[in-house]
Amino acid sequence: MNGPPAVRLQDVSFRYPGGAAGVFDIGLEIAPGELVVCIGPSGCGKTTLLRLIAGFLRVDAGRVELGGRDVTAATVRSRECGVVFQSYALFPHMSVRANVAYPLRVRKVEVGARERRAEAMLELVDLAGFGDRLPGELSGGQQQRVALARALVFEPRALLLDEPLSALDAATRLTMRDEIRRIQKRQNIASLLITHDQDEALSLADRVAVLRDGRLVQVATPQEIYDHPADAFVANFVGRANLIDGEVVAGDAVDTPIGRLAVPARSQPPGTRVRLLVRPERILPQPAAGGENVFAAAVVHDRFFGANREIELAVGRGSLKVETTVRGEITHVHVPRDAVQFLSPP
Amino acid sequence: MRLRRELLLAAPAALLLAGFFLLPVAAVAVDALREGTLAFTRVFALPAFWPSLAGSLLLTLVAASVSTLIGVAVALHLSRLPERQRTLLSFVIALPLTFSGLIVAYGFILGYGRAGFVTQLLGLAGFDAAVIGKALFTPVGLAFASSYYLIPRVVMGILPVLVNFDRAQMAAAESLGATPSQAFRQVMLPQVAAPVGAAFCLVAAVVFGAYGTALALVGTQLHILPLQLYSLISETGTDFPAAAALALLIAAVCSTIMTTGEWFGSRHERHL
Amino acid sequence: MIPRWITIAYLAYLAAPIVLLFVGSFGDLWLNTLLPTGATVRWYAEVAADPSFRRAFSASLFVAVMTCAACVAIGLPLGYAVFRARSARVRALARMLYQLPVALPPLVLAFGFILVFSSDALPWLGSVWLLIAGHIVLGLPYFLQTVVSDMQRLGLRTLEDAAESLGSSGLQRFLHVVLPALRHSVLSGLIVVAALSIGEFQFSNLVSGFLNRTYPVVLLQAFYGATGFACAATVILLALALTASVTGALSARGTARFATARAGR
Repeated sequence: MNGPPAVRLQDVSFRYPGGAAGVFDIGLEIAPGELVVCIGPSGCGKTTLLRLIAGFLRVDAGRVELGGRDVTAATVRSRECGVVFQSYALFPHMSVRANVAYPLRVRKVEVGARERRAEAMLELVDLAGFGDRLPGELSGGQQQRVALARALVFEPRALLLDEPLSALDAATRLTMRDEIRRIQKRQNIASLLITHDQDEALSLADRVAVLRDGRLVQVATPQEIYDHPADAFVANFVGRANLIDGEVVAGDAVDTPIGRLAVPARSQPPGTRVRLLVRPERILPQPAAGGENVFAAAVVHDRFFGANREIELAVGRGSLKVETTVRGEITHVHVPRDAVQFLSPP
Repeated sequence: MRLRRELLLAAPAALLLAGFFLLPVAAVAVDALREGTLAFTRVFALPAFWPSLAGSLLLTLVAASVSTLIGVAVALHLSRLPERQRTLLSFVIALPLTFSGLIVAYGFILGYGRAGFVTQLLGLAGFDAAVIGKALFTPVGLAFASSYYLIPRVVMGILPVLVNFDRAQMAAAESLGATPSQAFRQVMLPQVAAPVGAAFCLVAAVVFGAYGTALALVGTQLHILPLQLYSLISETGTDFPAAAALALLIAAVCSTIMTTGEWFGSRHERHL
Repeated sequence: MIPRWITIAYLAYLAAPIVLLFVGSFGDLWLNTLLPTGATVRWYAEVAADPSFRRAFSASLFVAVMTCAACVAIGLPLGYAVFRARSARVRALARMLYQLPVALPPLVLAFGFILVFSSDALPWLGSVWLLIAGHIVLGLPYFLQTVVSDMQRLGLRTLEDAAESLGSSGLQRFLHVVLPALRHSVLSGLIVVAALSIGEFQFSNLVSGFLNRTYPVVLLQAFYGATGFACAATVILLALALTASVTGALSARGTARFATARAGR
């Protein structure tokens, strides 16, 4: 992967006129063929980021590069990003084939060639034979595929997807998630996908970018994000989390509401306030007392999901969320020392 | 059983429409066709008929085209406004719909007549006030005045279509490489063409059959078909079959334009 | 940008005649000057004192009220029947039929009235009831348009199904559910009808008898007299139309509130 990144944002800032909303000091690179998923709560600026790259909005400060070329001042048209809109924005009066061929039509590609390329693209998205239908005659998932084909047919420099799965029902969403991944890899195109769904982010992304209040909090691989979240916000937003506040009593022990917790050794003076993260699936139910970090627990809430259970436990003066495959009654839990991580305080 | 209840509910209105709509229309048709085509021949032989037909066509074409163009532009602007502003402006723009044609006529005499406010202003600005003052009383001037109550009809017909138009489509077209003018022509226009055509037909039919504003502006001297029919009816010793033939002609033109408009409208609905 | 400028110019075009009519009605003398000279309310006093205007004003109100009453009495049942009709074909056909009067110029309808009702068999021409019948024919399409589209918008069928499942009879459903839900749309429909009836000129000019000439018909004569008098007489009609529009807009907002409640927002 030599050469310039397909997409590069340098210190990009944008503020909506007459408000505090916007994005601030964004630095992000997307390598050719890489899929970056941008995730964050609604109103955090995800879509703004996408619109800045596509050129629907112009940055107030900073620089936008596509394929090493500065496009900060360029028009939407000349940026050549394939955009998949949340509502798909298919042209209802054009056939599926005409929709897919549209980018080639405005590029004055000769009719025969553009029909062929549109047809090939439809084949790629498993819609061969649907070319003569109108978009209104297709299901949501099929419309999504058309939108994807249309955004890719002109070999754009980047693919930008704005919450592409949010309008689909749960079952279709899973299929389409795999489809997007397959087609994106097949075309080997730099892509940015916007979502607020953590499952989508973790399962699709090469890298995840977490956005909060217009600022990038962490950009890392899904595994890194999950295992080593940068702060409590990321920990809570990506995956379920037990966040436990406490006070250091020794190099490897912290006093918390659930009791004294043995933690990985760290040189911190006693009395320091710290915040700890324990993922629910790392906590292990235990038949009896005894051993390090084993606490008596009372079940407050017990939800059964088939393969596993999500249990809320009252432990000491605090509570713990636990995810387990154990079916029986739960009286004690064990928190393995290496399951405890320090977080920077929020 | 159920059907009978619905027929019962519909009966009074149906009877009224039969007696006071279908019967008069039938009477006009019967009177017009009683002597075969003779009544029509007499209408065509009237000295004012052909100039009136030309005047009516000019009036209809100008008024409907101008109203549609301005109405679409206004609706386009309104559709981009925030909802509160749009509601307020729509209310203001809809006002002329309840105005009598007479109000419009006298207001225009005050503004654009021989001694009208705007006429005098333009005169002060160096234009020939005498020419401008006369313009209002020509078919084109009448079209200018008629647009007053035609434009709101266009705006009200088009606005919902434009408001419901998914603007992401324009963004999509642009991101796919279309210029703004390409996006307008290839993406937006084909989708709003049918309702715009329907609105054009509606206002054309209304203005073709109207005589109130014209009568108040110029009396019966202006050469348009409805005014000619009006003078035929109000003359003493009227040739009723000829008047009926002319009335039937006007009604036929109006319904044809209106049906064309309905066809446009239904095309749009099928589209969605 | 172009649509914006056109809109601004259009609003000026819209306001000019109204403003000039108001200015003219309070001007003492307006003869070949840019604006009238002197301020007065005497033109309004003169219109109010004029016996033919007084008679025309009450005739117009009477015709409008009767037209509205008839629209409710016969139009509402028709609209309901069309809305309830099970076959979509019947609904479309009925709608086309009652929309027909819109396509017919009032002038042609008036001529038809003259032909039919000046005959020896039906010598009703000049009667105020005949005038009212004509106004009903002209107003009914607009009334039905408002009411039937609101029946669909409010999801009346579902409301009725709900009422039926709760044990209410056909008549009870109509009285307890249909009428209350529709009261705002009936009101806005009636306001349109009243405004049309009061402003109607093209039909009434030929059909009204000398003693029951409506306001617009008499107004036309005023145009050949003093400017101030004509302005004042026109402003009265204008004021009635404006009142109707404001009332109509307010009651339409009432329906909108019901409709949004239905959408669950």
